[in-house]
Amino acid sequence: MAGIWIFGETRERTLELLTAGISLAEASGQTVSVILRGDESLGKEYVTHGAGEIMILPEIAGDQPLEGYVPVIAAEAARFSPDLILFPATTRGREMAARIASCLNTGLCSDCTAVTWNFESEEFEFERLAYGGAAVQKIAFTARPAMATVPPRTYGPAPAKETREGTFRHLPEPPPSPVRIMERKKRERSARDIRDARIIVAAGRGFAKQEDLEIARSLAEALGGEIACTRPLSEEYHWLPDELCIGLSGISVKPQLYIGLGISGQIQHITGIRDAGLIAAVNKDENAPIFQMSDLGIIGDLYRVVPELIEEIRKARGE
Amino acid sequence: MPNVIACFKWVVDEAYVRSGASGDLDLSSVDYKISDYDKNALEEAVAVRERSGGVVTAITVSVPEAGKGVKDALSRGPDKAVFIRDPAFRDLEPSQTAAIMAEVIRDRIPFDLILCGEGSSDLYARQVGPRLAEILGIPCLTGVQKITIEGNRLVAERRTEEGVDVAEAALPALVTVLPDINTPRIPGVRDTLMASKKETTVIGKEDLPSLPRETMKTLSMKTASLKRQGVRFTAQRDDVAAFVDALVRKGVLE
Repeated sequence: MAGIWIFGETRERTLELLTAGISLAEASGQTVSVILRGDESLGKEYVTHGAGEIMILPEIAGDQPLEGYVPVIAAEAARFSPDLILFPATTRGREMAARIASCLNTGLCSDCTAVTWNFESEEFEFERLAYGGAAVQKIAFTARPAMATVPPRTYGPAPAKETREGTFRHLPEPPPSPVRIMERKKRERSARDIRDARIIVAAGRGFAKQEDLEIARSLAEALGGEIACTRPLSEEYHWLPDELCIGLSGISVKPQLYIGLGISGQIQHITGIRDAGLIAAVNKDENAPIFQMSDLGIIGDLYRVVPELIEEIRKARGE
Repeated sequence: MPNVIACFKWVVDEAYVRSGASGDLDLSSVDYKISDYDKNALEEAVAVRERSGGVVTAITVSVPEAGKGVKDALSRGPDKAVFIRDPAFRDLEPSQTAAIMAEVIRDRIPFDLILCGEGSSDLYARQVGPRLAEILGIPCLTGVQKITIEGNRLVAERRTEEGVDVAEAALPALVTVLPDINTPRIPGVRDTLMASKKETTVIGKEDLPSLPRETMKTLSMKTASLKRQGVRFTAQRDDVAAFVDALVRKGVLE
């Protein structure tokens, strides 16, 4: 047994992966190592959160991409042969994981929603969604190491434990990357983070024009919730910012109440609300797939139904 | 003038996926399509040709039935296609697809730029692009929303969690594109007719070195349970009130 490795891209993601890594390490009788760049003090923190070993990548020039570390990590993994390597399923984490898996001639479970240790077969088992979220695929590895990318917030952060000891070692410098970053533009968040919202009103293609989104906003306001949308509204029409797009290519949410307005219910969108407490929908097409996946549904024209809905909500609240 | 390769996958249309007995996946009555984001890759390849000239080759690794997909791809503007096909090429792993493509591309297709969709509609593993770049030893840029070619240099805008990185690399390079890079065309009758006149090179398993081994095994593939209560209301005022009453009883209204 040669350990479970975690690529630590950011503190938040690393603490989440430590939660997964530590429980798998305990089950399979191994230790957890974190690979991070630059900062040794962050490594000390990861040790208090359960890491047994910290591998530190040297800082690279500002115009070098994070993916430049691929050859170093691949060489280190080839040398020490870990059993499992976890990456955050971020833009950079996904690319690095796929390229390192290629270097190591092994597989990769992309966007893994659960990893477990099977005591009987003594192997790691991985779950992921397929067919736009319509199916759950369970896989195991026939090559080594096993590798997976894990979406942000799949696990909660690992708690700090009592004082622990960890070993530290430094990894060699990578060769210059063939990709050079000319500019890094920070995104100005144009919308609130709705991933923790208690109530979400989502708008779909049933809205004829951008101004009509006021209807969805009024309902969100009456409920004390936030507004969100399906992919066409953010990516094709640009009516709402990307941060509000729910689904496979957007964010996943878990509100107590989700109300979809004029949303047909494509599986890619529904995948992003599968953990919602209560799913409700308003759609004039009674055959819309969303009704198959809702707890409560109103079959009707949202333009007519929602104003009445708002009145009834106010009434119910004694307003 | 750049030679551009656009990679695409012929996939099960997920809208047709049904739940069979005991939650198993029922793919008996499915339709197939070009993977959604691969349409963006094909469109972008054609857009590069329109701006800078060159030749666009569409390429896929699949089963013989995917011939329909090759024709569909050609109707979207590429000059020619390479169809690597064998009955054994069903359910390939990303590592195998990338290895087979690399084998064919390396010696048989001149290229300056390889375009892939960010991920496939069926498995969405997002691996073939970066794996292919790694095997070919060329620069890789994933999650790209805009590309510009200046001579022998590629400039790409890459979407990350923090914002947008503007990155450059020398050609040849590989880029995986996001769906917002362009709007894929809808081929017309003329495009479809033109497609059948274009050249398709067919490559079989016998023309390739042995198939790379599998690295993973699927233990099960079940439909995801999305079962909900399914209570319906009409748009009548009384029913709207009953709907709100249900929200109150569920304790979601404060």
